[in-house]
Amino acid sequence: MTAVAAELVKLPAFLRRDFLVAWSYRLAFFSDFVGLATQMLVFAFIGRLVADDRLPSFNGAEVSYVEFVAIGLVVNLFVQIALTRTATAIRTEQMIGTLEALLMTPTAAATVQLGSAVFDLVYVPLRTAIFLGFLSLVVGLDLESAGILPSAAVLLAFIPFVWGLGLAAAGAILTFRRGAGGMMLGATLLGLASGAFFPLSLLPHWIATLAEYNPLAIAIQGMREALLGGTGWSEVGGHVLLLVPASALSLVCGALLFRLALGRERRRGTLGLY
Amino acid sequence: MRMMPSPPIIEAHELTRRFGDRAALDGVSLTVAGGEIHALLGPNGAGKTTLLRILAGLTTPTHGEVGVLGADASKAERSLRAQIGLVPSGDRTFYLRISGLENLVFFGRLHGMRRSRARARAEELLAYVGLSDAARRPVGTYSHGMQKRLSVARALLTAPPVLLVDEATHDLDPEAAADVRELVRELARHGAAVVWATQRVDEIRGFADRVTLLGEGRVRFAGSVPGLIATTDARTFILRLRNAQLGDAGGRLTRMVCAHGVIAPLDDGGTDHFLLSLTGDSVLGDAVAALQAGGVSVVTCHRERSEIEEAFVALSAEPSP
Repeated sequence: MTAVAAELVKLPAFLRRDFLVAWSYRLAFFSDFVGLATQMLVFAFIGRLVADDRLPSFNGAEVSYVEFVAIGLVVNLFVQIALTRTATAIRTEQMIGTLEALLMTPTAAATVQLGSAVFDLVYVPLRTAIFLGFLSLVVGLDLESAGILPSAAVLLAFIPFVWGLGLAAAGAILTFRRGAGGMMLGATLLGLASGAFFPLSLLPHWIATLAEYNPLAIAIQGMREALLGGTGWSEVGGHVLLLVPASALSLVCGALLFRLALGRERRRGTLGLY
Repeated sequence: MRMMPSPPIIEAHELTRRFGDRAALDGVSLTVAGGEIHALLGPNGAGKTTLLRILAGLTTPTHGEVGVLGADASKAERSLRAQIGLVPSGDRTFYLRISGLENLVFFGRLHGMRRSRARARAEELLAYVGLSDAARRPVGTYSHGMQKRLSVARALLTAPPVLLVDEATHDLDPEAAADVRELVRELARHGAAVVWATQRVDEIRGFADRVTLLGEGRVRFAGSVPGLIATTDARTFILRLRNAQLGDAGGRLTRMVCAHGVIAPLDDGGTDHFLLSLTGDSVLGDAVAALQAGGVSVVTCHRERSEIEEAFVALSAEPSP
């Protein structure tokens, strides 16, 4: 078994651990869904103020505001949860006292880091799919079934981007201890310039131009085109091609920064301190 | 008495670890052979935990060399980690919402075991540390003693040849502390090199083979437990006396032993126990004889502090050179 494979087979252990922990908080487990549904309800009422002709069309298909915002909301929430979890995974282990026990096993720090986020990386998209399915039944969200696999491809190409950002943020949090506020600010700015809640064309021109290169905006646009417009692989491929280098760059830089931060903590002897 | 196998499994030479201007360790050397229990004594802040963390590869020394099983521990190679079991000092080193069994299975899988193997090993170890009945309870419901035993079980997942134990009996009642020591003793019998950091000085008697006493990051003593005891010359004893006539005890007893030391009632004279402090070159027998000659019977006599505690206090308090 190669070293990478030996590390990858450890990920299900993290998945099971975090499922058991999440399941031990059953109320929070279910209230999560209720919270998401409540947000959607709010946007459904806001949607009554927005004329459909103010919204862009996708592959010629006109969409309602609820349809427009549903995709943006779930992708944005995915980013926020995955980023927070990835960035604070090591810090959380540090706080609950398990970090050194983890590092005493022959497990790479990056595996600990990814492993601590893997439950959310699996659960949040699953929850998203269930939620979108629920919306299509209850509020008539009109999703193109042909777009499901292409949108999944966009999400897959986008996940390493979030992971890389999370690694970089984890390095910063490990170094400065308190940095979750700064990370959430960054995530909010990323979300604001993503077109999740309103079309990018409403932003000032220069911000709208910059936002077009925002990987989150690219991912949301790609998923909307697939799920709302029913565009196929060839159209979505362009988005995936833009996302792959951004994700690779994010992952490499994030891993490097995290490694530097962890090495610094070992040298300083402050790994177990919080 | 156990045989002392060789060669050393742990070798630390002139370790120094600085945190800013403060030296947590200053030129500390240590060797531990397989099958040996090496006690690391010292007051708070002496550097015991820092030394254990360096041996475990969790932090690096500022200067010096540290070898574990022939490898450089300061490089924190992953392959070495499976060879070292660590029982950390803190209680909260587990996932409290999940069971002891699931915790051990999780850590076993991080050691590269398949799930079925990790589960079998976890069940075996839970039985070994006497936690089978609590295996499926969340760790958050465990007592301190149970968490310590679980911690020992986790450290043994890979049957490591090196075991580092940090204040394992701190906060434990005597029975639970004895249980943990017996588990560790059993491992040493099977050849593990054990470093046992503690402040409970008396627990090392009959338990540790050798001892290193740290004070302010420096080695104050290194050798056998009898060697440590031999550094002391206990001068204070608690006597239980009969016919001491408590109302007048202070003056009369003091006159009896004045050539040998000072005697004073314990607990403001409310009991028949007295504290005798020898002075000069006086010996205990002469002081006791003087009391007997005055018609006072010495019912019991024991040291105010154990020899090890005396040595601990005296050597720890020595000023740094």
